[in-house]
Amino acid sequence: MDKIIFAGPVGAGKTTAIGSISEIPPVGTDVTCTDESAQIKEKTTVAMDYSYITLDDGTRIHLYGTPGQDRFDFMWQILAKDGIGLVLLINRDHPDPLHQLGFYLNAFADFIQETGVVIGLTKSDISDKHDISKFQDFLYERQQVFPVFDVDARSEDDIKVLVHALLAVLNH
Amino acid sequence: MRIINDVIEQISHTNFEQETQTQEILAQELDKILDALLTSSEDISAAIISSVDGHSKAQRLEADMDEHRFAAMSSALLALSDNLASEGGKGNTENVLIEGTNGKIFLLHAGPKHLLTVFTHNCGSLGMPLAYAKQATEQIAALMEVLAS
Repeated sequence: MDKIIFAGPVGAGKTTAIGSISEIPPVGTDVTCTDESAQIKEKTTVAMDYSYITLDDGTRIHLYGTPGQDRFDFMWQILAKDGIGLVLLINRDHPDPLHQLGFYLNAFADFIQETGVVIGLTKSDISDKHDISKFQDFLYERQQVFPVFDVDARSEDDIKVLVHALLAVLNH
Repeated sequence: MRIINDVIEQISHTNFEQETQTQEILAQELDKILDALLTSSEDISAAIISSVDGHSKAQRLEADMDEHRFAAMSSALLALSDNLASEGGKGNTENVLIEGTNGKIFLLHAGPKHLLTVFTHNCGSLGMPLAYAKQATEQIAALMEVLAS
């Protein structure tokens, strides 16, 4: 089973991104936020999002979204098991998105090493605080070369580009 | 302007004090509910009340059980069970039961924003612990409603 994992911090757009390319009504586990996350959004994923897409050659790609908060890191391990690659979404509008990028790259380091990753920078339409080159420089300093894209999580085309880029990385 | 600032500060201060007081009362009451639950049945070994988004609110867990992990795992499991029940045409989740080789765990909603996770010893019957747990969820839901109003 070809399974791609969507990860990243709270409010990066993981649930939205999966919903954008989903062929079926996605399985979601959104509940009401009762903490400071409520300032960002009303609901948050606590277990997983699930959906799938079918490629032109008929291959079905299963999409699993992780909860953003690190108290749910046990779900990251459960969901990443047997995954073929990672789509990491980072909210460009966050005050310190580079720190967040580093955190999630470290948290999924083993998985990335075994598979591959592409990085999608979301909310670029509402924030130009952090230029895409900053993220590329950050990766360069870490001696990591990963594809980075500006994406709109609501755009089917943008998220499909991410998924296809990841598949290209994995086939390389 | 200064007077307005003083009033704003006073109101914020009062709100903060009220909020802190409410949280203290809530914590005490939730502790009481858990104490009563654990003394109601010898079969119940531990319990935790958490928010639907995985924060621990009160717990009577064993020393080596991390309340933050158990709160998060409980909310994830119950959320997924809600989906399974609903998409499978079985309505709302009454409870989730895990039958382990060394005991049982069950999870129940406690009002719209909280849940209760109960751990039992390797007991024969589940009826009484489940009934007491259900009673506790009703108390939690009622308490939350009063504090929210």
